[in-house]
Order: sequence, then structure tokens, then C-alpha cells
Amino acid sequence: MANVTETVEGADAHDAGGEGHDDHDAHPAFLQHHFDTPAQQFDASKLGMWVFIATEILMFGGLFVAYGIFRASDAEVFFAAHKVLDKQMGALNTIVLLFSSLTAALAVRSAQTGKRQMTSIYLVITIACACIFLVVKYFEYTHKLHDGLLPGHCFGHPWFGDKCTEHGSSAVPISVEGLPPRANMFFALYFAMTGLHGLHVVIGMSILIWVLIKNIKGQFSPAYFTHVDLGALYWHLVDLVWIYLFPLLYLVG
Amino acid sequence: MSSQTHAAHGDHDDGKVHVHIAPTRFYWGIFGALVCLTIMTVKVSYYDFGSANTIIAMLIATVKAGLVATFFMHLRHDKAFNTICFLAAFLFLGVFILLTSDDTTTRGKVDNAYGTKVFAPTGEEAPGGFPSALVIPSSSAPSGGGHGEPPKHH
Repeated sequence: MANVTETVEGADAHDAGGEGHDDHDAHPAFLQHHFDTPAQQFDASKLGMWVFIATEILMFGGLFVAYGIFRASDAEVFFAAHKVLDKQMGALNTIVLLFSSLTAALAVRSAQTGKRQMTSIYLVITIACACIFLVVKYFEYTHKLHDGLLPGHCFGHPWFGDKCTEHGSSAVPISVEGLPPRANMFFALYFAMTGLHGLHVVIGMSILIWVLIKNIKGQFSPAYFTHVDLGALYWHLVDLVWIYLFPLLYLVG
Repeated sequence: MSSQTHAAHGDHDDGKVHVHIAPTRFYWGIFGALVCLTIMTVKVSYYDFGSANTIIAMLIATVKAGLVATFFMHLRHDKAFNTICFLAAFLFLGVFILLTSDDTTTRGKVDNAYGTKVFAPTGEEAPGGFPSALVIPSSSAPSGGGHGEPPKHH
């Protein structure tokens, strides 16, 4: 448990500025000088995170709008192309991400209740889930590259081995039967959307590792756990985006 | 809601961080619901409900996203302004989608018969439009080549 009120260093450093604050309480070390109270600092951080999440939604939004417009104009092709994706893999990754969201939420809960050990354990499980997600994604990606589904002028030709040079190549033609050339667009969106999402998984992992290190160093307490909370919020955003990507890409109706 | 003990709520104005702490079992319950909904959306995808397929899938996804945002992301017991920020993103995403689809569905309805930059219903020059090389050939387009000049209506 935190003994915040005993943290006098912060109070000394603060009052040394000669601000003449009424000493209603000691100023804990984590309280930055431009905030009045820990609650104000926490709320400000959280609001900033939510504004950031809004911008993230709008960034993904551009791809979702592109998806909607191309799908509306070419519904049959999208339907034919989505069958190439492995529903089981997608569902597995969905469950993995949902579980990692659960452990991220439990990590925050442990931080709120001052169980430092448990926070670390939950964070490690969350990071492990992120790794599992990326491994599954890696298998999906390599499989598609082998099948020649990488969009662009090489579409229809396996990426490995005999690489295509200009327009098409002498390599073995597409191994996935019955896909029209226009399926290119579906896979362009597939790689752009899951690619941007995958980038977020990597960034989220890095943030959680950073939070984990800070937690092991003992920098958090029930009075101050902002990093754990905001790191988990970012991770939930990654989950949130995937919740929409999964039915849109894997379960085209 | 009396369990919400934010500093701003009068009787607890000690400046410290107060948050609602839900029991661990509650979080597991939410996770269970999310897994059930995931299984449901996969199962449902094997049946064909026609044009309702996408709507059903999006409804389930939205319920899942709502559960994550409300409980995992603590919006339920958070400052209302955070929820407003979050929902505002979707409001503007809606504006984005509506204005873009309004553009793409009405701009130069190009088909193979009319060539480029023609607003199909009237045959007039439409503002914008795709160059004919980019036009996606559609099987339902009337025959007669795609390079003809736009019919003139005067």
C-alpha cells in the first residue's frame, strides 16, 4: 500500500517554489507542479487519452470508409475473396485479443487495489496474448503471400521464389481458384487494415512492457496508477478495432 | 451510482484519485459474454439472411465493442466527458461515411455506354467522375463500347 501522505520529498520540492500553497496535505512525489490534486492530474491524463483514442478511431475510420465504399460497389467479389480467409484463425485471434483485454482490465484492477505482483502477472499474460496474436497473424500472412494474394501488379503470383518483375511473371499462376482480378482490392484493404492494426498491436505491446517495467520498479500505487490505466485503455482500443475487423474481413455476409 | 466517488462529488473532495473497483468475477463475466457473442457471430455467418447478414454482424460487433468500452474501459463509472469524446469520434466517423458515400454514389455515374464524366440519369457532364480507364466493368452495363462521346442534350 502506498504511504502517500508520508511522501514528504514531493511536498518539499513543491513548496520550495514559494508558491504559498495552503498545506492541506502533503504533495506526493508523483503530483506534477501544475496540478492541484492527484485526482485532477488523473482526470486530465485520462481525458487526454480519450481524445487520443478518438483520433485513433478516425484514423482507422478512413480505412473503414474505403472498405464500405469498395464493398458496396463490388459485393460479389468481396464475398468470393473473403472465403480465402480462415474463419477459425480469425476467431482464434478474436478470442486471444478478448482474453488479453480481460487481463489488461484485471491488471488495472490489481493496480487500483495495490496488488503489485498481480498487476505484473496480468500484464505479462496480456503481452503473451499479444505475441500469440502476432504469431497467428504471421502464419496467415505468409500463407497469403505464398498464394499470391499480395495486392499490386504481382497479384496472382506467389511472392516467394520466382518474384514477379513487371506486369505479371512466369511464376506459377494463382493457386486460389476462381478469384477475379478485382479481388485485388479486397486484399489491399485486408493488408492495409490488418497491417495498421498489427502495428497497433506491436505499439500496444511496447507500451505494456514499459508499464510492466515501471510496475516492477514499484512506481505505482492505488493513489497513482495512471500508466497502467492508460496503457490498458490503449490495449482495449486495439481489441475494439479488431472486434470490427473480424466480421468485416472474415465473415462477409 | 452512489459508489461513484469522484473527487468532484462533494463529500469526497480530498483531491485523491477515487475509482470504482469492480469485482474480478464481474470482469470474467464480461469476458464470457464477449466470447459467447464471438461464437454467435461465427455461427450466424454460416446462415444466409440476405442483406441482413452485414447488419447482424455489425450489431453483434457493436454490442461487443459496447461491453469493452463500458466495462473494460471503465466508461460506466468514468467522467461523462470521456464518453462524449469517445462517441464524438463515431459521430464524425458517421459524417465521414455519409458525405463520402453521398459523393461516390452520385458523382458521374459512369458506365460503359456513356464513357466518362457523365451523370447517367440526365446524360449531362457531371462534376468529377472517374477517367474511363478506371471504370470497373460491370456485367449489367449495356453493350456498345465505352469510348463513345457523351450524348449531348441541348
